[in-house]
This record gives sequence, structure tokens and C-alpha cells, in this order.
Amino acid sequence: MIGSVLFYALYPLSRYLISRASKASKKDLPPEVVNGTAVWDGGAVTTRKFTQSQTTLLDQWLSPSSGTKGETKERMKEPSPEEEDHMRPDTDKEQLMAVLHEEAQDEAASKTSEVQPAVMEQEAETRNGPQQDKVEAPKQEEKEITFQNTEGGSIFPNEDINPEQELRAHLECLQTDDSTQPPQTTCPVQKKVAIPSLEESVTLAEPSIQETTSPVWEQTQIPSIEESITPAEFTAEVTECWDEYIAPAADEMHCGESSNLIFTSLLSDTRLKLSGEHAMQTGWHFPAGPGLAEEVQCLLGQFPAVSYYPPIELTVPFEVMWRVWVEVDESASAALIPLPFTKPWMDFTVMSYNILAQDLLEANQELYIHCPLEVLDWSYRCSLLLEEIRKWAPDILCLQEVQENHYHEQLFPFLSQMGYTCVYKRRTGTKTDGCATCYRSSCFSEISVTTLEFFRPETELLDRHNVGIVVLLQPVVTRGSEVKAKGPPLCVANTHLLFNPRRGDVKLAQLAIMLAEIDSVVKSCKAKGEHCNLILCGDFNTVPHMPLYQLITTGELYFQGLPAWMISGQEDMSHRVYGHRLFAPLWPSCLGITDNCQYTTAKETFESQSQKPGKYQYSHDFLLQLRFCPATCVRPLDLELIPGVTDNTPDASRENQPYDKSFRPTISHQLDLESVYTHILPGSGNPEVTTLHSEVGATVDYIFYTPRRYHLTADQKGQWHAGPPSPKLHHWGVFEPHGATSSPKSPHPPGGLLCSRRKAPLHPSALLHPHPPAPRLSPAPSTQWPSASLLLLLLLLLHQEDQLSSGTQNVLTDALDLFLLVNLLAGLSRFPQQMANS
Amino acid sequence: MNNKFDALKDDDSGDHDQDQGSPKDSEKEKTEDEDKEQNISKKKMVVPGAGEHPLQYNYTFWYSRRTPGRPASTQSYEQNIKQIGSFASVEQFWRFYSHMIRPGDLTGHSDFHLFKEGIKPMWEDDANKMGGKWIIRLRKGLASRCWENLILAMLGEQFMVGEEICGAVVSVRFQEDIISIWNKTASDQATTARIRDTLRRVLNLPPNTIMEYKTHTDSIKYQHHNRIRLDYFAFRL
Repeated sequence: MIGSVLFYALYPLSRYLISRASKASKKDLPPEVVNGTAVWDGGAVTTRKFTQSQTTLLDQWLSPSSGTKGETKERMKEPSPEEEDHMRPDTDKEQLMAVLHEEAQDEAASKTSEVQPAVMEQEAETRNGPQQDKVEAPKQEEKEITFQNTEGGSIFPNEDINPEQELRAHLECLQTDDSTQPPQTTCPVQKKVAIPSLEESVTLAEPSIQETTSPVWEQTQIPSIEESITPAEFTAEVTECWDEYIAPAADEMHCGESSNLIFTSLLSDTRLKLSGEHAMQTGWHFPAGPGLAEEVQCLLGQFPAVSYYPPIELTVPFEVMWRVWVEVDESASAALIPLPFTKPWMDFTVMSYNILAQDLLEANQELYIHCPLEVLDWSYRCSLLLEEIRKWAPDILCLQEVQENHYHEQLFPFLSQMGYTCVYKRRTGTKTDGCATCYRSSCFSEISVTTLEFFRPETELLDRHNVGIVVLLQPVVTRGSEVKAKGPPLCVANTHLLFNPRRGDVKLAQLAIMLAEIDSVVKSCKAKGEHCNLILCGDFNTVPHMPLYQLITTGELYFQGLPAWMISGQEDMSHRVYGHRLFAPLWPSCLGITDNCQYTTAKETFESQSQKPGKYQYSHDFLLQLRFCPATCVRPLDLELIPGVTDNTPDASRENQPYDKSFRPTISHQLDLESVYTHILPGSGNPEVTTLHSEVGATVDYIFYTPRRYHLTADQKGQWHAGPPSPKLHHWGVFEPHGATSSPKSPHPPGGLLCSRRKAPLHPSALLHPHPPAPRLSPAPSTQWPSASLLLLLLLLLHQEDQLSSGTQNVLTDALDLFLLVNLLAGLSRFPQQMANS
Repeated sequence: MNNKFDALKDDDSGDHDQDQGSPKDSEKEKTEDEDKEQNISKKKMVVPGAGEHPLQYNYTFWYSRRTPGRPASTQSYEQNIKQIGSFASVEQFWRFYSHMIRPGDLTGHSDFHLFKEGIKPMWEDDANKMGGKWIIRLRKGLASRCWENLILAMLGEQFMVGEEICGAVVSVRFQEDIISIWNKTASDQATTARIRDTLRRVLNLPPNTIMEYKTHTDSIKYQHHNRIRLDYFAFRL
């Protein structure tokens, strides 16, 4: 109530200031400003997170961060609200007013009575405060206090973050804004955030708030006020529950006072480091690819769950496509390019499917409230799942979220009866689900199986209970019980990475373990002179083209300074200016994995030694691993004790930290992996979707594989020819149905590798409009769709290794020697009906 | 302590910031070389323990410290450089290293030397006399980390220059610290370039870091002309 009073008092004042500013700049208010104001008039509590937190935080820190503004050290130590108020230089008044204005609206909207005592209290303090020299009206001070109150909610529930990093990020923004903001800025909010889509999403959110029809919203609104956590934050917690529930434990919830102290005490240190870093306000970019030559741009607002409340845009129909096998236009491509192979040696299909564990479904029912209860029943879903598997009968089946009891009771009996050999790995910890990799015993024989646990108690970072399975298979052709032929080994890796959208650092480390294991499998094949083909699939909880994806597909990622949430890009958390950022080293050397995503084990070292007899070569990481082994902590008998020189005491806890810094700010891997899907629908350009529930529709499931590649050479006429395939290359390709760019005469950059296929064709799994579906319309699970995710299925053709060397010379290879069929299930076809019903 | 380098002489008169990584030349030293070599050869060669990770070469740690005041006699060098111990495996190395103070925490005018067993940390040693060293001057606070990275690369055979590497030195000085790595053949430019590039990599040096290569014959020649040397390098930089 006080808030609303303040709002009405302040609103005209802020309008006045804004108009004055616009006069000063001799310009009319840009229309965006007007829009922005209108949006804020709605008093949407959630929208505050997007713009206001940045702005207010900027404001809040503006003064303490720059010593030139003339604050005393005393103030920096105790940034109490009233001080903040006065510390602002006059030039920032307009900005301040805008903030105050918004704040008042927020307060008015939330009408929380719990905040009021605190307001009164601080107000009293303010009035007694010694610094009332500046000219802000008393009412403005109250505003400031309010702002501080809400601010506390948004700052402190941050995750386990190094406050210094947060602060650094924060100060970056400050400095940039401070120096670059032109004086005629009439709407600092818009300028600073600069997300074109922001307004839109904010506007969209508004009706949902007013109507409070969205169940998710209803749930979150009330607790958020009680706990003085901003709604967006609260929803974040809810979201995490879905897969990896993390209690908002003490380590993630810094208390206000201590945080303040930490920040201020760090100010002087961090300011120095800021200058070199670039404030990324309007979007993010990060280098990736070989030699980090590729710059990946991602604009803010392009994330699938750009906010925690789904934009409601009911008028836009879902785009639904039949999930059918897409056949390649063989005639066209055959005319262009004579296929170098007469016949594939073997073809096989791979399916990746997150089947949604029942325990997780029940633990996160809020994500599925749109679904009729009967379709959520396990026995019902199970029968559909088994039917799907039976129908598609993939040769290799990679499942995620397989609940242990369901695996033993239903899936395993069913699959073994179908002729599959199965490997199951349950997650560590208390979760009951896991991954399963199954393959047709008639097509493959097992060379090796490794199950991976990403939980590493000795590594603080790896405290989450996710698992993976790496299987090395030997393709075989059998007739009766007799093996007729063997193909090159095939490594199939299946995993389900951590869900938590904020913990991209954990995801990267989990992926690194996976890649290191694959790497060792590949090396073991190489040691036998065999070339190993790869399939890496599963639920990566990562959106296409975001850093984790880039690491997989380009082989290299520069992660220094990237915010942790951006690694997966599941949600846009750019509003969290305190968000955790990544800095080298990502993981300690005791994990035994290099920044090349390879093992650094003694075993490996000795293997390499055996190749070079008489040469003892050790990597830095390997040497460090032996540093505190028991034998090295014994003082050598012949070591004379020289005080101040040889009287050191070995102390692992003290010394390991500062000295194992050989980790580069780049991680990379040597595997050649490419996604089967392009993640964009041909034609419409809309993103593909592989998972869909009430909050998110996005691509998070992938099948990566080693594509077949050729070296290209140009003859004197400028024609490109395929050289002999590089030894790294593999015998698969993907056929593209709409191969408009595949003219053999089209120039290609000289040198380098040419992909034998164009970017994956296909068809997505589900084709949905980019906007996440409204909760009620969310289709999964449904009567035809047993899981919240879609299965991915592809067909690969495998050629005999030695066939390659013959007949491939002088063949233009922009074309495919292979057919890939990626496919999806027919279940979607009934989708529109369901939507129509609802 | 054995291996007394009675010929070692403190010559850094008036130039405390020059690298003093090696004991300096002396006429007398040459006459006594034979004695020292006998000393070393008498010492039993260390061998890797059972199950330990052998190193390509055995190494010896040395420590030297400039005594306060002006050392006037050759006898004082006995206290100036000490052999700390030799090792033949990774584990043995860590055993010594873990019990040694980090260079950054050393007080005064001190040096750690890590040389292949049998090579003395002196310009005049047979292995060194045709050689030279790469020198990197570090601002205070970096020596411990750089030294560790440097010697781990050396012990792990990361320089890939065959038998060219002789040893490495970290010199703690008043305003800066200096690390250097010595090799056998100063005239072998391919080798010195490769050492330089490896150094940059293993030390994570910023691209603009200044690295000097100095031949030991120059060091000997100019040892009494420190001022001149300073000017010379100032010019070169």
C-alpha cells in the first residue's frame, strides 16, 4: 500500500524528469520509451527481473565501484540504502528516477505487507541518518529503501558463486555504462538491456499475470513474496526440481549482510581486472571451432525459455510435421555424383530416447499438469514405449531416464526377447533412473563396456549424480551362428547430462569425462590398427549452438568468462548479473582429465612410453598427480635441514590450489563429431524441438556421429576433387533431401575438409513454433506420446573400410556416399487433434 | 655437505639484480675441477625405487645464497652453494621438492639450481662451456609458479631437444626474480628456438614477455663489466 502511494507520488515526478531530459536532448521521446513505460505500468512483478535488476544493480554499484565519484571509504564499507541514495551523482538522476519509478510499480503490484515493516524500519534509519545533504525528496528515499529490499531478494539466492566473479561481471557493466551512456538517454532501462525481444516477452507476460490463469504462475507468486525471493528466482528452483533437485541450501543462499561485506571488500581488487573484459550487454559471443576461429553469436532473447513464464501466444498454431522417414532423393544425387560405393556393407538404425522416468514425472508434476492423469500412468506409458520400440526396432537403442525397477521388470525382459543385449547404468545418489544402451545381438558383438559415474566426491565441481555408458561394438554379419564378416568397431556413447540450467560448468565437466572415455576407446582401437566410428547420443540438456554444443561439434571452446547458464542456453539468465562465470581451470587436475578432454592416467603414459622405448616423458598434469602420493611426503634421509630452504612441510591442501594452473581457458577434444540434425526446420526455419513440457519446448536430445569427410583438391580447371579420404574419416554421411547447394562446381575454399554431406537435413523431431507452448497445450506426454521427449532415430550406412580406397579418387564429394535417414515417429500426427480438443 | 665448490666466487659486486644463477668464473676453480669431479663420481648414482616413475635423466638440486657482507675468500663459497640432493624418479623428485621452500618464499639473495646429475651449475662445466641460457625476468610473485612449471617441463622431457638441456635456475633478487634454462650448445639455433617456444608454452607467458638468450662465454667475458652488460641489454630490449 505504501508502495502504491509512493508509486503515484513518484510517477509524475519521473515523467517530469524524463520529459525534461528529452527536451535537453532536443528530441522527442522515442516510441520505445513510451512502450516501456506502458509495460511497467502493468506492474508485472516478474518482469522486474529482466530490466530492473540490471539497472538497479548498476545503480547500486555505480558509486562504490568508482572512486572518482567522491564517496568516502566508510560508505563503501557499509552500502546502506540511504547512502546509496546520496551517493549518486546528479548526472544519474534521471536514471535513478526511472529505477525508482519501476520500483514503485513493482511494489504497488505485489502489495506485500511483509515488506512494509522493513520499509518503515529502514525509513526511520534513513531519517536519522547523517547524510541528508543531497536534494532527493524524502519520498525518494523511501523508494530507495524499497528498492533495496527487493534487491536483497534478487541478489542473494544466487548459486554458489564466487562473489568476486560476480562482482567483476557487475563492475564491467558498470564501467561500460558509465562511460558510454550518452546524456540524452531517457530510458536507461531500455538502453542498457538492449534486448529487442525483451519488450515483447514482457508484454506477453503481462496478460498472464493479470489473469493469473497460468497454474505455474499461481504457484510461484505466493511463495515468492513470502520468502522475499523474486518470482523468477523461485521458479528457477522449481524448474531445477525436474531433473536435479537442488535444495536452496545455505551454500547457494548467501545472506545479505555477508554478501555486502564481501562485495565491498573486494571492490578494490576486482576493479583492476575489469578493464580487459568486455561487457556483453546486447548478446553473447564466444569463440569456438578449430583454432577458435569461429565466432558464435547469440543474441539475448533467443533462448527457448527466455523467461520462466511461457509467452502466451495462442493465436500462433503449432507447426506439426509428420515424423516419417525422410528418404533421400537418390536420383538427383546419383546423377550429380556417381556413388563411389556399390553397396553399403551394412546399415543400421540408432535410436536415442529419453523415456521420462516415472519417479521424475511424479516428483515434478507441475510440469505435466496439462496432461490427463491417465496418460501419466506408467503402465500406460510403458505399453506405448514398448510399442514404439517394437515398431522401429532400432539396431542400437540408447535410452535415458530409465527407472531401475522398470528396466528390470519391463524393459529388459521385453528387449532381450526382441534380441537385444542391454547395458544399464543407474544414476548414483538417490535418483532411481539411469541410462540404458541396447544393441541387437545379431548385428553387433561387444568389445568393451564402460559405465561412467560423473559424481566424483574428490572433485567439488562434480557433485551431481549423472551417468553415461560407453560401449564398443563390433558390427558383424552372421549367418546362423557363424560370423560371416566383421566391420570396423563402433563406439556408442549414451548419456544424460545434468539438467540444472545454471550449472553449465558441471555439464562441461561431465561431458569432458564422457569425451575422455570415448577418446581412450578410440585410442585402444587405434592401437590395434582399427579405425573406430563414433555415435554420441543422449539428452545433453543443452540447446543447439550454445557453448556445450559448440564444443562437441567444433572440437574447441573458449570458456573464459562465459556465464555458467549460457553453456547450455536452456534459459536466458542474463538478468542475473551476479551469475557464476567460468574461469580456468574448470576442473582440478586430480580428475585426471586434461583440457583436451583426454585421460592423463599413468596407464596411458606408460602406453605411450612403450611406443617410445627408453623415453620417459611426462605431462605436467601427470607429474602433478604424483605430487602428494604417500611416498613423496616422506622426508629424504639425505636432505640436509637448512632453515628457510629445506624445512618445508608438504601440504596437499595448501599447495595443490595455486600451482595446478596449467589448464588453459580453452577446452577441446580430438573427436570428429557432427549432429545428425540441423535443429532448424527446412522451409520455415523454425527450430526443431525434441522435448516439450509445460515450460520448455527445445532441442536437448542429440545424436552426434563421425561423418565421412574427404580432403578436397582442386585441379587446374578449378574443379574440386576428392582426395583420398583422410584416415580420420568415417563411412557415414547424411543425405540431404533439399540439396540446392550441392552443385559439384560450386567453389569451395581451398584446402581443409569438406563435409561429404550438407548440414543435416531433416526433420526434426517435432516441429513447433519457436515459442514454447502454453502450458495447457503442451503435448507431452500424451496419449500418443509416452514421454516428454521425442525419440531420435537415424539410419547409418556402414561401408567396408577397404572399399574406400578404391574408386573414390576424382569423385566430387559434395555428394553423399551415404544415406542417412533420420526419422521420427508418427505419433505427432495426432498432435493437432489434441490441441484442437484443448 | 659434500661437493664443496671452493672455487665459486661471488662476483656480483654492485649489481644485485643481475642474474647470478651460476657460480661465477674463477681461475682457481679450474685447477680444482678434478677434485670435484672425483667427488661426484664417488657418490653413488641414485636409482628409481620399486614401482616409481623413472625420469629420463637423474637430476640434482642445488641451493646457493649470497652471504651477507662481502665474501673475500674462496672458502666462503663453501657456504654459498650446496647440493641438496639427487633423484632419479618422479616420486623422488617430489620428495625433495615438497620439503623445499618455494622460491617465492625464499629470503635474501638466493638461487635454486636443478641440473642433470653430473653437470655442475657453472658456466665452466664441460657440459655448459659451449652453452647458453634463456633468461626470463619475472616480477615478484610469479617465481614459484613459473619455476615449478619450468622444472616439471624439464623433468617430463617436454622440451624435445634431445640431450641439450643442462639444467634450470631460479634466482631470487631484490626487485625481481629470474628464471633461466641452460642448454649445451649456444650456437644451435634450432634448439634454442625450440626451447624458447616450449618455455612460452609451459610458463603460459604473455606474448610480449621479454626473453633473452645469453651465451655463457658472454657471461664470462662480461662478468666484470656488469654495468656494460646492463647497458647492452637495455639497448637490445
